[in-house]
Amino acid sequence: VGFQKILTLTYVDKLIDDVHKEFRDKYRNEFQQKGTLGLLNGTFDFKDDFMRLLRDAEESSKVRAPTVMKTFEQSLKSQKTVKCMIETRGEKPKEKVKNKKNKGSKKEGTEAVAAPGKASAGDKQPSAAGDREELTKDEILQKNREEFFKRHMKAGEKSSKSPKPEAQKEKGKKPRVWDLGNSNAKVLDYSNSATNGSAEACPVEEFDPDTALGDRNREPGRLYDLEYESDDEAEEEKVIQNPSKPSAKKGGLGGMFGMLKGLVGSKSLTREDMDPVLEKMKDHLIAKNVAAEIAVQLCESVAKKLEGKVMGTFTTVTSTVKQALQEALVQILQPQRRVDVLRDVMDAQRHRRPYVVTFCGVNGVGKSTNLAKISFWLIENGFSVLIAACDTFRAGAVEQLRTHTRRLNALHPPESHGGRTMVQLYEKGYGKDAAGIAMEAISYARNQGFDVVLVDTAGRMQDNAPLMTALAKLIAVNAPDLVLFVGEALVGNEAVDQLVKFNKALADHSMAQTPRLIDGIVLTKFDTIDDKVGAAISMTYITSKPIVFVGTGQTYCDLRSLNAKAVVAALMKA
Amino acid sequence: AMAGRLEPHLEALRRELRAPDPAVLSVLLALLAVAVTLLIWRFVQGRRSSRKAVLLLGLCDAGKTLLFARLLTGKYRDTQTSITDSSAVYRVSNNKSANVTLIDLPGHKSLRLQFLERFKAAARAIVFVVDSVAFQREVKDVAEFLYQVLVDSTVLKNAPALLIACNKQDVTMAKSAKLIQQQLEKELNTLRVTRSAAPTSLDGSATGGPAQLGKKGKDFDFSQLPMKVEFVECSARGSKGEEGDADFEDLEKWLAKIA
Repeated sequence: VGFQKILTLTYVDKLIDDVHKEFRDKYRNEFQQKGTLGLLNGTFDFKDDFMRLLRDAEESSKVRAPTVMKTFEQSLKSQKTVKCMIETRGEKPKEKVKNKKNKGSKKEGTEAVAAPGKASAGDKQPSAAGDREELTKDEILQKNREEFFKRHMKAGEKSSKSPKPEAQKEKGKKPRVWDLGNSNAKVLDYSNSATNGSAEACPVEEFDPDTALGDRNREPGRLYDLEYESDDEAEEEKVIQNPSKPSAKKGGLGGMFGMLKGLVGSKSLTREDMDPVLEKMKDHLIAKNVAAEIAVQLCESVAKKLEGKVMGTFTTVTSTVKQALQEALVQILQPQRRVDVLRDVMDAQRHRRPYVVTFCGVNGVGKSTNLAKISFWLIENGFSVLIAACDTFRAGAVEQLRTHTRRLNALHPPESHGGRTMVQLYEKGYGKDAAGIAMEAISYARNQGFDVVLVDTAGRMQDNAPLMTALAKLIAVNAPDLVLFVGEALVGNEAVDQLVKFNKALADHSMAQTPRLIDGIVLTKFDTIDDKVGAAISMTYITSKPIVFVGTGQTYCDLRSLNAKAVVAALMKA
Repeated sequence: AMAGRLEPHLEALRRELRAPDPAVLSVLLALLAVAVTLLIWRFVQGRRSSRKAVLLLGLCDAGKTLLFARLLTGKYRDTQTSITDSSAVYRVSNNKSANVTLIDLPGHKSLRLQFLERFKAAARAIVFVVDSVAFQREVKDVAEFLYQVLVDSTVLKNAPALLIACNKQDVTMAKSAKLIQQQLEKELNTLRVTRSAAPTSLDGSATGGPAQLGKKGKDFDFSQLPMKVEFVECSARGSKGEEGDADFEDLEKWLAKIA
């Protein structure tokens, strides 16, 4: 087992494969004959082999040593004669250029070099006249620098000269007055009054009827349909099918025997066998609303898992692949850690602090509706709820929550719960900072002894950076116990993008060592999809967090928990 | 008169048997062979499906793999976190003929459920290994896993004997079996309330919701379960460390009883 993320060594995968093969080959007998007892009792003297393999892998991945620098004697410069390196003032530009190239200078600009400035020539001259062979790097650098500055000064002089003739040219143009108050309509009217409304407005030479009308063969007055390009595609398909048909005919007999052989014998699965089945499965998954990239990755991982597996008798490739895919899907949907909200609320009750749940998601997925459903469920289980209206943007958000609160209180009046109001709304109107309201709501709940705080946030698109920052700030500052992402079951490939960007925003803007990410998913509008339940797979695959609740309608009782096997059965159903 | 009517038929049969018509005879023989094969096959299936496995379950680092190695070989082995199951036949010490298949399953969160799915039907008994030292910290996780095992429909139907082995007793801070039992009962009591109060499953009618554990109204007790539950203390490492023997006579006695 190796962990790639700690040490990014390029040879780890290959090393693991090599070790695996070597170990298996060396101790093949022991495994085959004695099984598990052989594993337990045998002594495996593998250290030398392992060290050898490790050394090989390391050597194969070593970067080539950086090239050794050439010594001075080897370079071209030492082979040049002294004479060509002498610089004198007023030298011809051609020689200067050659000189520069020999020294390996990157600075071009032949014209600038032409006349070395009189200012800097003085100090250059004694050094230039002196020992030519020992032009050190620093001196070359300095010389180049001076030339560069010279060039700049020259350019500066040139540019200072150029605006003057332009300004003189500008004086020739007519001044344009943009002052609206004194706008003289007559001055701004450039139309030729004589041509307005007259038939000869557009000179005939400029108008070409052919290009303007386009297709000359069209019937005047008829509205044509939008042209499809399906003809080309149909032709392509026919062309592809034709060569495949004869090959199918040829392989007919052989194929039949192969199928029988595959049914009975112990055949090991290869990629080629699995590819057509996996293609079909992938298309089936995509048709069931699983995000395209997720479907591709799923099929890839199933292929890798099944490669080389020996099939039993009377099992076809299709059935093996289907079963493997089903197992993989069930495992994806069954969470690692089951989120038991009631249990955690009880724990928080014992510590005398409220249990804070935050709902986030894009616009219009059903956050407020499902918040009301969850608060109803919590009240039924005897916990008092404080709803924090942190959606300060959308018109009517606070009123919506107030209506829900009133209804819930009517359903569960204080009299039936020992005199305490089970639901209360904490709101501060519109336009305020959501994080601040959340913090006040939590401290209010702690003072008043509420068991749960449900924080409703405004819907936001995942690529709206300032809003994502605001959400991340709300979650980082208030440290809720549970961050629930609300997503609708109708979403297709968008689910991947939404979840990735939400998680990324939460991770980026958190100051803590372990940032609070999305802890669970609420899948809403489940009653609108028949069996196209792929969104559940996409979301759990991306975040590897469980689906905590499923919303199946708009009344308070339409809250369910996920049944992994049923969802997978609906997904695999043809 | 009846005998008279039967006589010609019997005569025909006797004539057939004496001068057998090959076609009819071969058909009869074939049918007989098929019938015998089916009987044998059903018999063999029945034999194979008799549950002979003892599963070793528990959280990660509870000591299942070391216990497995000690039971089979008696020697100490350095172990790593299991990522797959291991199975071997364990012969009870005094009674040579009795043997069970010990299956050691990985305890890691992402693997434990799928391996349990695979092996639960073959389980005659379950040994649930608990880390007595870290128990105080892990109470909730231990109880959650135990709950998942106990409400499983196959487990409830077969009711395999359950042994909760409180491992790592060689460490001084280890909790006693009695304390572990009390804590687990309390936690399972809470869990069954919260789990049954969870929103019903998507197709609620089909699965009927999670099974109720124990009796309603009364506090949860391990005696309310349909299977026999015992608690033992053991130490896979043993009090003398790696050279000495493991300390699990109670476990071995229980295995002998099961086999």
